[in-house]
Amino acid sequence: MDPAEAEFLAEKETVTVIPNFSLDRIYLIGGDLGPFNPGLPVEVPLWLAINLKQRQKCRLIPPEWMDAEKLEEIRDQERKEDTFTPMPNPYYMELTKLLLNYATDNIPKADEIRTLVKDTWDTRIAKLRLSADSFVKQQEAHAKLDNLTLMEINTTGTFLTQALDHMYKLRTNLQPGETAQSQDF
Amino acid sequence: MFLSDFRREFYEVIVSQRVLLLVASDVDALCACKILQALFQCDHVQYTLVPVSGWQELETAYLEHKDQIKLLVKQDDDLEIPAYDDIFRDEEEDEDDSGNESDGSEPLGKRKRFEEDVVERTMKRRQRREWEAHRREILFDYEQYEYHGTSSAMVMFDLAWIMSKDLNDMLWWAIVGLTDQWIQDKITQMKYVTDIGMLQRHVSRHNHRNEDEENSLSIDCMRIAFEYDLRLALYQHWSLYESLCNTSYTSASLKLWSVQGQKRLQELFADMGLPLKQVKQKFNSMDMSLKENLQEMIEESANKFGMKNLRVQTFSIHFGFKNKFLASDIVYATASLMENIEKDEPGTDNFIKALDSLSRNNLDKLHQGLELAKKQLRAIQQTVASCICTNLIISQGPFLYCYLMEGTPDVKLFSKPVSLCLLSKYLLKSFVCSTKNKRCKLLPLIVAAPMDVEQGTVIMVGIPPETESSDKKNFFGRAFEKAAESTNSRTLHNHFDMSIIELKMEDRSKFLDALISLLS
Repeated sequence: MDPAEAEFLAEKETVTVIPNFSLDRIYLIGGDLGPFNPGLPVEVPLWLAINLKQRQKCRLIPPEWMDAEKLEEIRDQERKEDTFTPMPNPYYMELTKLLLNYATDNIPKADEIRTLVKDTWDTRIAKLRLSADSFVKQQEAHAKLDNLTLMEINTTGTFLTQALDHMYKLRTNLQPGETAQSQDF
Repeated sequence: MFLSDFRREFYEVIVSQRVLLLVASDVDALCACKILQALFQCDHVQYTLVPVSGWQELETAYLEHKDQIKLLVKQDDDLEIPAYDDIFRDEEEDEDDSGNESDGSEPLGKRKRFEEDVVERTMKRRQRREWEAHRREILFDYEQYEYHGTSSAMVMFDLAWIMSKDLNDMLWWAIVGLTDQWIQDKITQMKYVTDIGMLQRHVSRHNHRNEDEENSLSIDCMRIAFEYDLRLALYQHWSLYESLCNTSYTSASLKLWSVQGQKRLQELFADMGLPLKQVKQKFNSMDMSLKENLQEMIEESANKFGMKNLRVQTFSIHFGFKNKFLASDIVYATASLMENIEKDEPGTDNFIKALDSLSRNNLDKLHQGLELAKKQLRAIQQTVASCICTNLIISQGPFLYCYLMEGTPDVKLFSKPVSLCLLSKYLLKSFVCSTKNKRCKLLPLIVAAPMDVEQGTVIMVGIPPETESSDKKNFFGRAFEKAAESTNSRTLHNHFDMSIIELKMEDRSKFLDALISLLS
């Protein structure tokens, strides 16, 4: 899967916005949205929130977990544990990137948040690499990892499966076949 | 087009239609265009953008799109207009029997009324003649002098503010538009300060969040700050030494074209306590200890050398860790991008590049513009120095005249109107500082430079005299027209600014003679 596809799926998450226009309920295929009244918060999917923000029609409210102290706790927790800790949102990386790109002025302490999320991501990817490494070394048949998000799986997924494929091919070619011909003559 | 309620009569009419935007080649017009583009994007208005550099192009563009045009609004500096009633009057036809009932029974009464009629009619005719004379006077006054009103970028920003759609970005463009007017000396100091005051209110409204520690904005957000900063052109992107040499104010006051002037410059640096080696390197690499109180130090020392107005009120923009620009930097960069002669591209390419450089994500174009601006400023200063040292500026009686010969270095740069105007203003300033003749100090200046050598055309610019309290009114527009008519010279009054014309090289001398006799 492409990272762009993962981002596309992430855009279905709901966020709160405060519009500055008014509009009646709109009925879309995926569900109903609205009604929009200026100054009153309303829940909308992320794709619509970003679009409205770019047209200067709303103000975005950061989700509850996007707060410097909470993210610091999460990061410290992640560093302590050997396994993966549950993340506040299955699409935390995409949400952070989109919100911090388009709505920097609506998010307090945006720089700190960016650093904290990046730290957490780095820790998790390092753990993933370690676990893949030990998986290959010990030649396990299967492994189970909890609390991984889609973006992280995508980062290593393709590479890992292709590498394992190659290794399988190499391993099967190592076994001496009966029909193998020796070369000394 | 004259409007009383900008929002209702203009924006709400066009927001539902497809718009044709004709933009003049001026940094102020570019900024106004950016603001309008941003508004259109928010409201999903379809528009076509056509850059025009003169009346002829305006006409061609209009004729091309004639079938679809219903309303025509041109982006330009607006000139002050006299009252509506003084020029247009709904005239009623004089009717001979306008409601005078004739009473047949009393012949005396009828004759009396007839006489009254005649008297009335003559009164009306006399009034009408007076009114027409008054109208001619007003129109002559109106068309005689040319001067500039409020910056069109500021007008557009006001429109956005009225609709509550104003943003920090648009505010910055309005600031750049105003600064462009000030740099090109189109508005008086008083008007500049008043407009800065108005913009300062908007700036505090949009940018007050930096002081709050808890909710401070990300460093990537764009911030505008009010600065009482030095008037030196591009000094933060250049070295202090170069900037002092190439700013017209300092170069004219210190008379840097003479050897004595160079000595005085070195004295100035010594007085400020800045070592020459430091001052000649890039500003960003100067010692931090020297840069700390730089502005106050320079102002103090400059005062001793007779430069009292070295600091000016302006604004700066700040985004990311590296990017800080003053409004004047942006003006110089955009103007030089727009009149870039380095590559032979069609005029619209330069226009689009200059327009793009005003957006924050096109920093590479902005840096290119800054480099071009440095070259342009250096060329201007060298030309000014050579003109003054070789006494190329001659007094023709009612005005001063200077002609740049074809072999002059960088003369191709001055075949564009805005560069030539900038050169003429700097030339006049320096000349006023260098001459001892009191009468010459009060004369206006005409500068001519070759425009197209193959076609044998010359571009000519006239600017008003340089005085402390000048109201920047320019009468050369009409004067050029009249002189051209009387000598049948082949001239082209194409530019929106009527004091810039093109004429054939052969007609130059008779045109000048006609001008001299006209203005004496």
